Amino acid sequence: MAGPELLLQMTGVSKHFPGVRALHDITFDVRAGEVHGLVGENGAGKSTLMGVASGALFATEGEVRISGQVMSGDPELARELGLAIVRQEPALMPDLSVAENLYLGMPRHLRPALSTLNAWARKLLEHWSTTVSIDPRDHVTTLNPEQRFIVEIVKALACDPKVLVLDEPTEHLATEDVERLFERVRRVTERGAAVVYISHRIREVQAIANRLTVLRDGEGQGTFDAAALNEDQIVSLIVGGDLDRTFPDKAVPGAHQTVLATRDFSGPGFSKVSLQVREGEILGLAGIDANGQREFMRALAGIYRGTGHVAIQGREVDIRSSQGANRLGISYLPGDRHREGIFPELAVRENFSIRSIRDDVRGGLISSRSEDRRSDQAIRQFAVKTPNGETPIQSLSGGNQQKVVLSSVLAAKPKVLLVDEPTQGVDVGARAEIYKILRETARSGVAVIVVSSDAQEVAGLSDHVAIFSRGRIVEVLSGDRVTEDNITASVLKSTEQRDKHHKSVGAFWKWAAGNVAPLAMVAFAIVAVGGAAGLYNPFYLSPRSLSGMMTLAATLAMVGYGQQLLMLVGGIDLSVGPLMGLAQVVASFFLLSDLGAGTQAAGWILIFGVALVVGFVNWALVEGLRLHPMVATLATFMAVQAISLILRPTPAGMIDGTIMIALSTKIGIFPVTFLVAVALAVVLEFTLYRRGLGIALRGLGSRPEAARTAGIKPATARLLAYVGCSVLAGAAAVTMISQVGIGDPRAGLNYTLGSIAAIVIGGASLFGGRGSFIGALLGAIFIVQVNSVTVFLRLGQEWQQYLMGVLILAAVALYSKSREKVVQA
Amino acid sequence: MNAVTMTTDPAAGRSAASQKLRNLVFNEFSWIWGGTIVLFIVCAFVAPGVVRMAAISTMLPFAAILAITAVGMTIVIQQRGLDMSLPGAMTIAGLLFAKIGFLTGSTLLAVPLTLAIALAIGIVNGLLVAKVNITPIVATLATNAILLGAIRTISGGSFMTAPEALADFSHAKLFGVPMTLVLALLFIIVVSVVTKRTVSGRRFVAVGANPAAATAAGIPILRYQVATYAVATMCFAVAGMLFTGFIGSASQTAGNDYLLPAIAAVIVGGTPFSGGRGSVIASGVAALFMTQLGQMVLALGAPTSVQLLVQALAIIIAVTVRHLPGLLRMLRG
Repeated sequence: MAGPELLLQMTGVSKHFPGVRALHDITFDVRAGEVHGLVGENGAGKSTLMGVASGALFATEGEVRISGQVMSGDPELARELGLAIVRQEPALMPDLSVAENLYLGMPRHLRPALSTLNAWARKLLEHWSTTVSIDPRDHVTTLNPEQRFIVEIVKALACDPKVLVLDEPTEHLATEDVERLFERVRRVTERGAAVVYISHRIREVQAIANRLTVLRDGEGQGTFDAAALNEDQIVSLIVGGDLDRTFPDKAVPGAHQTVLATRDFSGPGFSKVSLQVREGEILGLAGIDANGQREFMRALAGIYRGTGHVAIQGREVDIRSSQGANRLGISYLPGDRHREGIFPELAVRENFSIRSIRDDVRGGLISSRSEDRRSDQAIRQFAVKTPNGETPIQSLSGGNQQKVVLSSVLAAKPKVLLVDEPTQGVDVGARAEIYKILRETARSGVAVIVVSSDAQEVAGLSDHVAIFSRGRIVEVLSGDRVTEDNITASVLKSTEQRDKHHKSVGAFWKWAAGNVAPLAMVAFAIVAVGGAAGLYNPFYLSPRSLSGMMTLAATLAMVGYGQQLLMLVGGIDLSVGPLMGLAQVVASFFLLSDLGAGTQAAGWILIFGVALVVGFVNWALVEGLRLHPMVATLATFMAVQAISLILRPTPAGMIDGTIMIALSTKIGIFPVTFLVAVALAVVLEFTLYRRGLGIALRGLGSRPEAARTAGIKPATARLLAYVGCSVLAGAAAVTMISQVGIGDPRAGLNYTLGSIAAIVIGGASLFGGRGSFIGALLGAIFIVQVNSVTVFLRLGQEWQQYLMGVLILAAVALYSKSREKVVQA
Repeated sequence: MNAVTMTTDPAAGRSAASQKLRNLVFNEFSWIWGGTIVLFIVCAFVAPGVVRMAAISTMLPFAAILAITAVGMTIVIQQRGLDMSLPGAMTIAGLLFAKIGFLTGSTLLAVPLTLAIALAIGIVNGLLVAKVNITPIVATLATNAILLGAIRTISGGSFMTAPEALADFSHAKLFGVPMTLVLALLFIIVVSVVTKRTVSGRRFVAVGANPAAATAAGIPILRYQVATYAVATMCFAVAGMLFTGFIGSASQTAGNDYLLPAIAAVIVGGTPFSGGRGSVIASGVAALFMTQLGQMVLALGAPTSVQLLVQALAIIIAVTVRHLPGLLRMLRG
């Protein structure tokens, strides 16, 4: 059958998550030259389906073919085959620059030479819009959500995709960017490629799509010609046979007492909000996302600080913190359940009781009988499907988790209940129950406020609906006027477009948060301390003193490079110190003057062989046995130290003098080891910022999931980092031979903490993604300098320690503060 | 899938009770009890010397001091942290105690003063971590450096003999039980009851498990995070004072040998690094396990180095054993 070419075919695809069936037997195909709309409610499985198509998720069952070729769970292959995806939550790596993100987002054959990276990225951004305010060198952390989304679109378009997937693209965009996007979409289809357009806005899909497929609760409802269906027909396909979802009866109109009232209440993202909620009523807040409704609610919950008047039952109150709100009888059910709602590893019982634990106190202690009774009762009352109360909440399905959190919030017996997205990620069956619970709660005299992005939900639940736009209330609907159509119309009328807003950050903080600032600051400190010490005591700047410091700095710097390499991918290696000692011990058996060149050569091989093995063991413990890096390398720390001590209980074995002399060679006043360390820093730094490998490592440390979607193999990259760390520690140990000269098993111990201190001063982040080898070198120099300067300043030895502690704190506090400042919400 | 297809039938109540009992007896924190019992049985066969009363009563005070440090480390790890200032805090407490004891001539005054200073150090640690947002390991590393400097300043670089009253106390016995052990048990029981059975304790666990959710639930997380470091430093200080009394002098390096063993004891006890869950009882038992393991290895004629190797293995085995069910499930697909 010779129809149009099928660019994407998905046959019988199912996807199961623990406790949830997200997709069931979906068949979906996309023809060349078409725009294929994919519609459904939130949680219907649209994003999951496209996750499977792009290789980010493995299908539990079924087959995916892109351009006729089978692909399964391999994002790199999907990209090579021409599938590009623009996610609702951009898959960008926050610590990388915009240009680097674009680079990693390309299939290999489309990546530019790294020397022209920024110019290339600027050109791509200009393709989108010539007035674009995004600098390719900016870190992604400093972009606002809209800018991030534009970067994501630019990335996808630059791949010249055969299939372009757009996931809720208009949620984040201002009007002119929406028009730009539509024009790009048409251009893509003109050249014979296809677009999959995911949206829950039906009109938008109708306007642009040729065909559309409807998903409902993970099941396909069929594929249709977009022109063959009218809006009502699409809606009924989306929500299922009966149009009206079952909502409980609303409050009887009449005079109810006001429970909560705000007057001219302002805060971050909203201003001058005046609202009342009466006993027995539910107040719905609607509006396009990020127009202040959620922020208003969070300020009432005490998470943000608001100003203005809030009264509960006629009494003026001041909400200073979430604890304060709690004490006033305000309970909050967060919208982001995973981040703010549940304590994932704790039992259902603990998750339930935490918000009302005082009720279980008998004589000063918590009575487990009372706690069990209450939690069992809640499980029964809310029909939570769980084996029992001791099950960790994370193993429950989303709907059941939500019911536990809701029951927990209600058990605190609030006067005011704030609910953000009551049914997000909740399956249909549980929704009706949650609606019923909310209505009963209101009926019992609690003031209930609900925020939801689902207009139908707001309409079905609320007695009054306040529409937010740009932080203000533009309309309040009551009684019969609370319908889905009125809400949608009012929302669309009021907010034609989103404001472009950008938090302004002081130039100093922006600079301080960049990659260069730590280097500049540490370099300045080195010069300043050196200069001051030189003025006080000229011997400090004598060639002998400088050479001595450089020798020590070379060793510390090299082990610092190793630690830095590992920390880039979010690891840490405590075993570097003992490993350096073990290298001395090995040297003290093989590098002796009375042994032949063959034995000595074996010794050199063995030193690095040992390093390789230790690095591999560390990696195997972390990657294979899933140990925490601290735990794994603490164990190897002890084991390696033990081996050294078994081999050399006390220092012994004088190393060959000629080797010692060779290792302490100087060119002018510069020790060769130091020159090697400097050269190594430059090479490594170049690789880190100007080579694909370095960018990939930083990307992995910055956000592992995003890096995986960009085709980076985490296990392989971490192997490189662990082994590289140990080998660099081995190299550092070699430079140490000329300082120690004997097989001392404890010689390296101080270098574990020293290496961490050096790179932290140099600007590394312990969470990965940020760091610099030049920074490690400067940090090492600075530490050695501080350690020796006290002698020349005739300060007591304790000053070494004081200075070290204070300087680490000052440096890290500054970096942490500046990085916090530039992050956009 | 079980969670979804399960129905709540009347039998669920009964099965919940039995499940609760099972969870109480067989959880990740119960392994260490079994391990310790097995260890003592093995000792009785391979090195009968170390299970005699005399040997055990020499070992117990060291196990007790380690247990007290492990209690402090456990609660910090429950808050997703790590306290590297243990050596400094422990040493400076011993030193301050001796110094204040001699200056004032009163042990009764020295104890509260030393504890007050420890409290202040802990609060600084907590604020650096929770308020200034410095990674715990880096923040406490830096305060440790500062404490080491202070130790030098205070001691002037020399040893100090411990006040006699403290030495006597450390060697004292209560109904035949070493005082150090009594104190360790007291610490373990109090901290355990507080974390499991009080409102503050439950909130402490919640803050460790998910700080963002704790904030949304109206828990003042800063207070709990700071208090954690404060209590931990007090534990280290008590251990430092006892150690000084026990060996009879306040050295400048007393705490150095306790950092890694304390962390090791927490890990072997089963408290995970992921925050929230944890057991100080398990850490205490693990302290006993690790100390006895060391004694056994020594009695078998192996040097200290082998002891270290055995401890490293103990850590890896302890962590792997708990992961085993999950790993097996994963391998089976």
